[in-house]
Order: sequence, then C-alpha cells, then structure tokens
Amino acid sequence: MGSEPRSAAAHRSVDVLASKLRRRQIVGSRATALETLLVLRQVIAKARFANIEQLVEIIRGVGRRLVDAQPKVGNTVRKVLHHIREEYHAATQGTNVAAKPTSFSISKFVLQGQPRKHAGPPKSSESKGTLRENDPHDPDSFARGLKPVLMEAIQDVLDELETVYDNISKNAKDHIHSDEIILTLGMSKTVEAFLKSAAHVRNYSVIVAETAPSYDGREMAKSLSTAGISTFLVPDSSIFSLMSRVNKVILGAHVILANGGMFAVSGSLMAATAAREHSTPVVVCAGQFKLTPLWNLYHEYGALDFGNPTDVLGFENGDLIDKVDVVNPYYDYVQPDLIVAYITNDGDHPPSSIYRLLKETYDDEDNEL
Amino acid sequence: MASKSASSGKEKLIADEEEVLQAVILADSFNKRFRPLTTRKPRCLLPICNAPLLDWTFESLALAGVQEVFVICRSHAELVKNAIKESKWSKPGSGMKIVPIMTAKETFSPGDAMRDIYTRGLVTSDFVLVMGDLVSNIRIDEVVRVHKERRRTNKDAIMTMVVKESGGRHRTRARGESSIFVLDPETSECLHYEQEMGYPRKKLINIPREVLAGHPEVEIRNDLIDCSIDVCSVEVPSLFQDNFDYLDIRRDFVHGVLTSDLLMKNIYCYVAEEGYAARVQDTRSYESISKDILSRWTFPLVPDDNHPGGHIYDHTRGNRYIAKDNTVVLARTCNIGTNTLIGSLTKVSDNVTIIASVIGQNCTIGPGSTISNSYIFENAVVGANCTIERSIIGADVTIKDGSSVPRGCLIADGVVLGPNATLAPLERSRLGEDQRTYRLMRMMMILTSRKSKLNSIDKKSLGKDSNAIVWPREPPDEEDEDEESPENYKNQRFMRLGDNTADLELSDAASTSSDEETTSDDDDDVPEHASVSGLSDASFDTGVMQDAEFRAEVKQSLERAFAEGHSIDNAAVELKTLRMASNVPLTRVKEAVIAAIVEKIQLVDGDAAAQRKEIGTVIRRWGELINRIGGVDPVETVSILQVHCASSTRMSLFGQILAALYQEDIVEEDDIRAWHALPASKGENEDEDNEDEKLAVVAENIKKCWMIGMHMINQFNAQDSESEEETETESEADEDEEKKKKAKPPSAAAAGRMKSADSSGEDDSDSETDGSSGSTEGADGGVSGDQSDDGLSVSEDSSANPSTNASEDESEDLSG
Repeated sequence: MGSEPRSAAAHRSVDVLASKLRRRQIVGSRATALETLLVLRQVIAKARFANIEQLVEIIRGVGRRLVDAQPKVGNTVRKVLHHIREEYHAATQGTNVAAKPTSFSISKFVLQGQPRKHAGPPKSSESKGTLRENDPHDPDSFARGLKPVLMEAIQDVLDELETVYDNISKNAKDHIHSDEIILTLGMSKTVEAFLKSAAHVRNYSVIVAETAPSYDGREMAKSLSTAGISTFLVPDSSIFSLMSRVNKVILGAHVILANGGMFAVSGSLMAATAAREHSTPVVVCAGQFKLTPLWNLYHEYGALDFGNPTDVLGFENGDLIDKVDVVNPYYDYVQPDLIVAYITNDGDHPPSSIYRLLKETYDDEDNEL
Repeated sequence: MASKSASSGKEKLIADEEEVLQAVILADSFNKRFRPLTTRKPRCLLPICNAPLLDWTFESLALAGVQEVFVICRSHAELVKNAIKESKWSKPGSGMKIVPIMTAKETFSPGDAMRDIYTRGLVTSDFVLVMGDLVSNIRIDEVVRVHKERRRTNKDAIMTMVVKESGGRHRTRARGESSIFVLDPETSECLHYEQEMGYPRKKLINIPREVLAGHPEVEIRNDLIDCSIDVCSVEVPSLFQDNFDYLDIRRDFVHGVLTSDLLMKNIYCYVAEEGYAARVQDTRSYESISKDILSRWTFPLVPDDNHPGGHIYDHTRGNRYIAKDNTVVLARTCNIGTNTLIGSLTKVSDNVTIIASVIGQNCTIGPGSTISNSYIFENAVVGANCTIERSIIGADVTIKDGSSVPRGCLIADGVVLGPNATLAPLERSRLGEDQRTYRLMRMMMILTSRKSKLNSIDKKSLGKDSNAIVWPREPPDEEDEDEESPENYKNQRFMRLGDNTADLELSDAASTSSDEETTSDDDDDVPEHASVSGLSDASFDTGVMQDAEFRAEVKQSLERAFAEGHSIDNAAVELKTLRMASNVPLTRVKEAVIAAIVEKIQLVDGDAAAQRKEIGTVIRRWGELINRIGGVDPVETVSILQVHCASSTRMSLFGQILAALYQEDIVEEDDIRAWHALPASKGENEDEDNEDEKLAVVAENIKKCWMIGMHMINQFNAQDSESEEETETESEADEDEEKKKKAKPPSAAAAGRMKSADSSGEDDSDSETDGSSGSTEGADGGVSGDQSDDGLSVSEDSSANPSTNASEDESEDLSG
C-alpha cells in the first residue's frame, strides 16, 4: 500500500498487540476483542485508500498478522470488515441494505430462512452520493468521505462488545428458575454475569467444579458466593455423580464453531457428556464475538492450545519430568449434539442454526483472511 | 481499556518513575564447551529449536518490558552485530533499543566485561544482567520491582539473583557447575554462596560462623537452578572495577562480596515460583532446554505460539511441531515421534524415524535413517540408512549414506562425513583439509601434529569422502589443569551431551548408580575405599591440601613482610586479600599469623636476656598484626598461641611471648583471665585417651601453658592488691618486684610445673587444682610422653633461670 510512512505508527501498534498476544499478556476473549478493535480503529484512521478494495486489503493484512499471533482475534477483524462493507453500501447505494432484523429467536427461525447474499462490492459502480472512488484528481476524497462512517461502525462494534455481558444476562431469569441446581465450571466472565443477574430474581444453588489444573472454579465459587448465591465447590471427579441432581449445566465458551460445536475450558466435554447421560440440558453463554466461521476438522476431542505443564506437574519434581510427558490442554472440543442452546447477546440459538448466524455476522469472502 | 492485564499497570508504574529499564547481555560464553560448533560462530548464535539463542534472550527481556539493551560481544562480534541488525528486534516496533558493544579481545571473563561496562559508563540505573544464552519466561520486571523496593530501605542491597526451584536432580540443573545457596528464609538474603562442581565433588562446604551467629534461621539449598539473571544496581560494575581480580560473576564476585569484611554489601535471591528460566551453558543443558521448550515448560515461549525466530509452527498431539508454511515434505511412511520439531523446507524421505529431535530448516533426511534425541541445524543433509543418536549436527553438514553417529557427537558446520562413517561416542568433528582459511588451517595442523597417530586411524572411520578431522578427545596434556575452575577436563564431562559420566561417579563415591547422582553418602571415602582409585583420595584431601597451601602462602607473605620491613597495614591488607582468595575462615588466618610470628622469634640458646629482647622486638614490631587482620578476639589469640606453642619447639617461650603481648596491650589482663577460665585452655578435653605420644606431649604442653597463665594471673592478683596500698617508695620497689615476677612467670611456672604438677597446683586455689591434678594423672598414663616432657623441661629450666635476671633489666627499661 502506498500509505506506509503515515501508517508507521499504526503498524507499530499492530506489532505491539501481536507480541502482547503471543506473550499472553492479554488474555480473555473480550479483552482481546476490545484491544483488536482499538488497533483496527487506529489503523483505519491512519490508512490512505482510494477505493474499498484497498481498505479491505489493509485490514486483512493487519488481520493476518494478528491471527498468526492468536487465531481468535480473526472474528473481530471479520466483523469489522463486514461492517465496513455494510457502511460502504449504505453510503453508495442508499438504504436498500439497511433493513436488517436485529433480533433472532428460534421461533422466527424458519421465516428468516435465507442468508443475505453479498455480491462483493460493485467494482466500477459510479457512486451516487458525494463519494467518488478512484478519483484521479483527489485520491483522498473517498477516504475522507468514508472515514467518519467507518468510525461510527467500529464504535457500534465497540458498544456491542462493552454491553455484551448485560445483553446476555438480561434473559437470565428466563433460563434459571427458583430452587434449581445449576452446575458450571471454570471462570467465565459471561457465565458469572449471567448467574449473578439471575440471582436478583431467583433463589437457586450453583455447583462449581474446581476445574483442574487451573482451579479457576475456586475463583468463580468465591465470586458467586460473595454475590449471595448458595454455592458448592466440588472436585471435578464428582461431576458425574452429582449430575443426577443438577437441573441445568451452564458453560462458557472459548470459540463457537460453524457446525455448532465449541471449544471450551477443558473439563467441559466431561461435564457435557455426563449431562447427556442424565438428560440434563447443557446451555452455553457466549457473546456473539466468539462465533467463528471455521470447522473443527482435525481434532476429535481437544483443541490445539496446550499450556504450560507446570500446572499439572511442578517443575521442581526434577527427576520425574525427564521421564513423563505432561500435557496440559486448555480447551475441550464439545460437539454440537451435546449442547442444547447458545445464549448470546443476539438472542438464543440452537447449535444447528449457528451457521446461519455466521452468515449474518460475517462475509463469506472473509472466512480465509 | 478497563480490562487490561496487570502487567500494563506495572509498566505504567515503571514509566511513572521516568526510568528506562536497562539490560546488559553478555553475549560471550568465555569458555569453549561448545567447540567445535563454536569455531566459526559465537555460542549465542547457535540455534536452539531453530532460533538463535540470542533471540530467545531478547524475547525473555522483551517480556519483562526492558527498553534498552546493551549486548557485550567479544568473539565473532561482527556476526553478532549483523545478526542483531537483521533480526526483528532492531525494527522500530519491537519496543527495545539494542546497542551492540564490541569489547576488546582481551576481555577474557565476565569480570572483564563488567569492568568494560564500567569504563564505558553504559548503565545509569539498576539494570538486568543476563547471559546471551538465556531462555526464560520469568517476569523479570517483577524481580526488578522487588529489587527497587528493597533498595529503598537498604542501600547496600546491590544485587538480586534469580533462582528457580528445581529439585536436586533436575535435568535442566547443570551438574557440572551448580551452586549452593545459603539463604535467610525471612528476607531471602543470600548469606553465603558456594559453587559446586561435578568433579571434583564437594564433600563439605564451609559456612562462616558469622552467618550462623547472625541469623536465627538459615536455609542451605542445593536444589536451585541459577538462572544467571541478576538485577544489579549501578555499584556492581564499579565493584568489579575496584576488585580487578574478580573474574566470574558467581565464583568470584558473589562469593567475594559475601565473604568480604570490607564491602558490607548484601546480595539477595529471588526464588521464582512461577515461570521458567535456564541457561544453555553446556551441551548437556542444550539438550535439556531443547526438551523443556518442546514439552512446553517455557510456555508461552513455545514454537507454535511465540517463536523468537518468527517462524510459525503447527503443533500437533504429542508435541510434534511442523513448520506451518506447507513447505515440509514428509514421506507417507516416515515416522515422526513425539517431542519433535521440523523446520520449513525440510524433506523427510521414506521409512525415516525421527524421535525427540529438532530438525532445522531446509534439511534433507535420506530414506531409512533413524534420528533420535538429536539436534540438526539448518541445511544439513543426512543420507540413506544413517543412524544419529543424541548428537548435535551443525549447519550445512553432509552425512553420507550408511553412517552412524552415536551419542554425544558434535559435528561442526560444513563437515562432510561418510559414506559409511562410524564415529565413536562423544566424538567431535570439524572441518579439516579442505578448509581454505589460513588461520583454521594452522590450527588444524597443530591438532594433526599432536594427534597424528590418532588421526590416521580416524580417517578411515570418517569415511572416504570426508573432509573432517576429529577433535582431540583426550584431556589436554599441556594446559595447566586448574582443578579449582569448572573448566577442568573431568568436570567438563558433566557438561557434555550424552556423557553419562558413569565411570567418574563410580570412582568418586563407589556408588552403584550410573546415571544419577549418588544419594547414599554413608560409604564415601572411608580410607579403605581408597583402593577403588586415586580419585577419591584426591577429592577427600582437597580440604586439607588447601589448608596447607594457605598456611604456606601466609608464611611466605609474612616472611616477605618481615624481610622487606613492610608496614603492618600493608601486611594486613595482603593477608586479607589472601584470605579472600583462598576462602578460609578468619581463625585460620590468625593461626597462621601467630604461628609465623612465633616462628619468627629466634631461639637464643643460653642467653635469656637476649632471648627476651628478641621476643620483645618481634612482638613490638609485629604483634599488632594479629589484631589488624580483623575479628579482634584476644582470648582466641591466647588460645591459638597456646595451641601453637604446645606443638612447637618454642614451647619454652610461651610465657614470655604472652607477657610481651600483654606489654603491647594486644591482650589485656581480663583476656588472659577469660582464656584461663576456658576449659579447652586447661587441656582437659584431650587428656583422657591420648595413647599417641605426640598428642600426649601436646596435651601436656597445653597444660603447662595453662599453668603459666595461672601464675600470671596470680601475679595480676598480687599486683592488684599491692597497688591498692599505694605508697610512693613501696610502689616503686613493688613495681620492680612485680616486673620481675611478671617476667618471671614463664620461668617460674615452667620450672615449678616441671618438678611437680601437684605442688604447683597446691599453691593455687582449690577449684583449679582439682582440674589440673586430675588432668596430670590422665596424662601420666603415657610414660614416654612424660619423659620427653622432661627433656624439654630441662632446656626450659636452663634458660628460665637466667631469664629472671634479664627480666629485671628489661622491666626497668620499660618502667623507666
């Protein structure tokens, strides 16, 4: 791109974010998404482009670098790209795409059948409004005209991210009923907010599994009990035996895949399988930014994020570590048939309709950044 | 935004203080453990898991938010400089400013490098000092924070060493060169430091008693990995400048600072609970750190996540890492085992087995080869049906068909081996004949001439197309073997890849274990075991040897001082230095000094006056030295004098010397009393079972000395009571009298004592008599001992009687 000198600072911020992601100095899906958005906003603000293709290419370039560092930020990049195109069409072709239903529910699923078609941006279409692409006299005019709208679009995404917990938990009382026993594991901010919100109106109990080896469950139990919810902390091994008493399993997600399955903190698969044995419903709380247009092709049970074995076997066990291979996977892959519903900030969805949600959220051409 | 991680908060904190966090990397190893791999590039550019060690070090520092890095390079400095320039770290986005510093070729040790840092004035505030071969994910910024916090209250806390708990037998814990830390568990102050080596093995360490006296609780830890990450304050380089003999940071600097009586500085340890840190300090740790990286102990510093070289790897189950750019060609029938890393552009042919190995970029592995636990650098070509086991193969190496490289081989860059080469275990090969560089050529000729016989044999085993020669593998014969340094040949074996050092350990402690360190200590070094080999004796004797050596040194130093008439101050400084250099407790120095002074007094036969005079001169001139060497403890001085005299030919002079010391105010009356009250001074402890003649004599002499002391005390008592009367004339007369007596004790006591211990005992107070008479009886058991005593006492008597007269003159001189 011809905009290198001016966007040097933007590139640096991309590098800084990439190395922070690599060093795991930023953890947590929402934090990562927020940081990514801020960097993208900076990049777009500094970028110079004469038409939409150049802009998309710039953002994709940034996206590729970030995805190399941490695959899950790809969702945010895709979402931004989607919004940019939308704004672009709105700006150039009036309001014919704007009538987009914002809320989905299972009941309306059939009516909303077909995914919207995106015939890529019309390349040579003469713009109707003030926007003129590839103007030879003033190459910056297009960027000047479009940038305010783009900033607005990114602000929308930001707002959505910032309110994601509230939006997910606003329906909590419809999912949790009085005197129910809920089982959860790990420390998911989304689940935490969801349960706390339900506790305002309902009186129920939560069983939290410790979730070895990170033992995040302890933190979760502490947080829930300080919020006044009656909480039990149990070892992971007793999940199955307790399952017969549990009314509902509520899990957090790391990433929701296109087939309706998900990656979640390790231990989730065990809990979900135990729940199916007892026909206990498994509900997943997750923000929409966790949707990913990818499929789990290679791994039957696990995801490919293996952490530090120190959590499992202390490094000080000197003579053991030479003889034992220690594996500490972060995530389990939970198949779609183990999950009853996803509760997102955009309504409730069964795993089978995730693919459609994806079509709504991202553009097909961005699946491979 | 709101949910930033805690680290950013810390960074803000550092930014608030407006201080740039600086780091110094010593990018030279100052040793040759990786030869011949390091003949053409420095160690810090050797790849580990396909990224140069220096990049791992930079990544470790970047993780800590270091903003300015000085890289001190010596050997192959240009290479290091270029590598830095081309790496991603010199790009503007890296957030680190890297300044390569070329130091002089004369920089032979880390100490020299530190002096260089000082003279250049590089550092302006507290800085992080690491070696150029560090792999770490420890939050160094946290250590810096703790260090600065401590500095706020204690200005003398000059350094914080990062150590990692690992257990005694951890694979990453360097066995050739490890450390024993004595820590205060409360403050984690490092109270004492000892280096431990694989060979010779230490059987005991000496902890200064001040350490035990000053701290109610100490931890002596042998299970820590020394990560060589030091947070140093600005004083540290200047301390190196002041102490020009400091070479190694641990062995000399830390040990020196902790044992110094002058510096009064503190060094602390930071026992890292979380994180990983280790140094590639030898080929053995190269292997273990590679394994640690592959099995993800260094997370997130792992090939598929945050590879310092910027490569991207795909991680599959069983810790197999394959380069992600789709350029790796794996044959359908090849078998890639667990814990394996394969770089991009590499081709692996049919029926190849690769287990727990690292294959560099652009390598070719021929069909049917087996590679296990090996590390192959970039562009290497391995032919068909080769076997490579637990070895390091340099870049651009060609190993032709049918060759076998057994465990522990190091093959230098560019070597061609085979076909059908068969190396012996632990072989090292490097470029030979075809080498065009003149310098290398010359080196090679030296090698070949020395090992010409060996070489002609090896030529065959290296294969007909080979351009390699074998590195000499025997212990170097002409070099000065310094057992003290960890670079001695036998100890180096502990650092070598694939050397299980079974033979060394077998001879060392007669233990049964072959691969692990011995834990059973009950059977080590009983003299009977000496037959196993000479080694055990040697290691057993080192303590005694050192001691004898030290005594000789002190003696020489003092003789020089006596001969050249040095001032006492100079002599004291010299002794202090000597003490630090040989690491002996203060008491030992004192013993040596007193011994030397006593021996300095010449025996004047027959002329007691002259003898007295001689003693007086010597003590007047040199007595002060005893106190100047530090740790003023007159009671101890007297005890040492007693012990020394008891076993010396100058036994007869004890009383006179003591008197002279008293005159010179080196010992006070109270000190003599205190000494006298000590049970050990009476010689009570040893008297029971002294079958040995010599010991009996010594014990007897000790008792004699005690008696002499008793006489002296009696005189003190008498003096006290008389001086109370305080008449002018009387006192003068008394003084004379007293002086006479005072000078007399040696003679009188010796004489009286010799005749009958009992009678002299009766003169004194009852309580003391019991002890002395009892002890005499005990000693009487050795008849011959008594006789030899008498022999001694005769000469004493003869010299003692005239000495009474002489003492009068002397005392008059003094009083006048």
